[in-house]
Amino acid sequence: MVSEPGVLGAAELFPTGDFVQPKRFRTARDLLRKKVAMIAISYLLLFYVCGIFAPVIAPYGLNDQQLTVQDRLQSPTSEHIFGTDRLGRDLFTRVLYSARTTIVFTIVITLSGGLFLGLGLGLLAGYRGGWIDTVINRIGEILSGMPTLLLMIAITAAFRARINTWSFWLEDHTFLGEDSKTLVKFGIISLATVPFAWLGSCRIVRSQVLAIREQAYVTAAESMGASTPRMLFRHVLPGVLPLFLVGLSSGMASIAGAEVALSYLGLGIDEPAASFGNLIGDVNGTRLFNDYPYLLIVGAGPVILFFFSWNLLGDALVDVFDRRQNARH
Amino acid sequence: MSPGLTGYIVRRVLWAIPVLFLISIIVFFMMRLAPGDPVDSILGSRYQEDQARVLKEKYGYDKPVYIQYVKYMQNLAHGDLGVSTRHRDFTASEVIWPKVWISSQIGFIALLITFGLGIPVGIYAALARGTFIDPLTISFWLALEAIPVYVLSTLAAWLFAVKLGLVDLGYRGVWSPNMIVPIMVMSLPGVAGVARFMRASVISVIGEDYIRTARAKGLKEHTVIITHITRNALLPMVTVIGLSLPGIAGGSIFIETSFGIPGIARESLAAVLAPDYDVILALVLFGSALFVFGNVAIDIIYGFIDPRVRVGATRG
Repeated sequence: MVSEPGVLGAAELFPTGDFVQPKRFRTARDLLRKKVAMIAISYLLLFYVCGIFAPVIAPYGLNDQQLTVQDRLQSPTSEHIFGTDRLGRDLFTRVLYSARTTIVFTIVITLSGGLFLGLGLGLLAGYRGGWIDTVINRIGEILSGMPTLLLMIAITAAFRARINTWSFWLEDHTFLGEDSKTLVKFGIISLATVPFAWLGSCRIVRSQVLAIREQAYVTAAESMGASTPRMLFRHVLPGVLPLFLVGLSSGMASIAGAEVALSYLGLGIDEPAASFGNLIGDVNGTRLFNDYPYLLIVGAGPVILFFFSWNLLGDALVDVFDRRQNARH
Repeated sequence: MSPGLTGYIVRRVLWAIPVLFLISIIVFFMMRLAPGDPVDSILGSRYQEDQARVLKEKYGYDKPVYIQYVKYMQNLAHGDLGVSTRHRDFTASEVIWPKVWISSQIGFIALLITFGLGIPVGIYAALARGTFIDPLTISFWLALEAIPVYVLSTLAAWLFAVKLGLVDLGYRGVWSPNMIVPIMVMSLPGVAGVARFMRASVISVIGEDYIRTARAKGLKEHTVIITHITRNALLPMVTVIGLSLPGIAGGSIFIETSFGIPGIARESLAAVLAPDYDVILALVLFGSALFVFGNVAIDIIYGFIDPRVRVGATRG
């Protein structure tokens, strides 16, 4: 779909060819030789460290405001290295916490959509075959046939009316307290993203499993009476994992992008919690950019580099695998 | 047309029908389970009893949901998509089709640019494989792809309208020069995807024996590139083009809102947030139908281009 780049589905773009015998650490070594991949990995490491240790690194509180004229909309100084926004909040602090939101969101979606649904259903479809395979494929076909962003917006919008009810319940009945509203919003956008997040990895895993099933050692193991879990984990999974991980890294930017886009529209994480979506929404605008260009640059820059790095890394991985498959040329 | 191909097409089209029905059922029930009386939301709080009766008669609003669904499908068969609750005096069709037309025109131009740039860029990168030019070219377009559309819109609008003063940002019809900026923002991020796919395709073709033969025959290098490499590498592009085609009718939410284009994506966002049930339902059905038939079309086109697909279909 040309219309919304940045929304799930990047994983379809690379070939899942014949099964290749995995060789230990070869991918890592091939990857280390690529400079572009190394730069991408370094940036990602920086991003993850900053995000995870946000409360430690952050020089100010997330919502510390300084509303005097000289404190608002400051250019970067030694006190505020990213400057301050319209409410005089330190932008560096908000970027750190936004990175944290992005990291937590991508991990949640990768575990639930990618690992649990994608890998699980892909293995099931490929290994069991028959009607299970057909059903999983058809569900995938139907889901991928629906306008993704529109449906994600519809789902989040439908649940929005209930946010207060649920978060008040959580506040009263659990230890979560003031965080529960953010948690509920987080849950809603995850719920809206997961249905579309497993399609790519499921397709990759399924086609890999189909290729592996034809291998002689699988037939041998089967004929020796290996149990299904043993077959899956000992014989099939190791062969599936490399391309599955490649698929995950190519899809990472679009998963993170979904949260940013929803938050930008005001349907995901919003103030007082920080997300790149509401951060960009706050500093976006032609006039504002003309007067205070650094706002958009420091607000959107880090997450753009995050998308870019994952895409570069995914691309480099695809290339490493391709080169190995086409070794004869 | 061979009998195998006809049978294949018929089977593909027949398969599309249950898929579409299933999508319509899921979305219909999702929409109808939302709270609120549809009659109230269409007519407002004060209305004549016989107006309400006409609506109930036609759309079955006083009946259970599954009867409403049957009624909806009956009306759909007559081309009636229901009533818009957001634009009180308009039917869903009157709201949707003019806007779909606007978005489709813009989307089509953007698609032409995306592929027009992406295909040569991909070929260029593939031929430059092993040098620094290949990763540099692809990285440049990947960087552009990484910028969210809503940020790119702001940057492009600032550059062309504020800094250079070439255009203004008002909407003056699809064919006005003002559309250059939104069309650029819409088309350029997609180049990376097309270029990457084309690059991979060219690389796999370059390794084929017939390319070596062509070179061994002493053909000029550009003849080999154009008639042997490019033509064969374009074959898998059919899928990518086919999958992109349904998308052009959907427009882009972010671009249409930032540039004030009265297209279907902006309408669909407003419809979802309103909520305007029949318009949402019509849009999702329309989008899914386009996608499903786009897929069928791709398969059929492959049936024509690649005889192996056809043979497999007759056997299977």
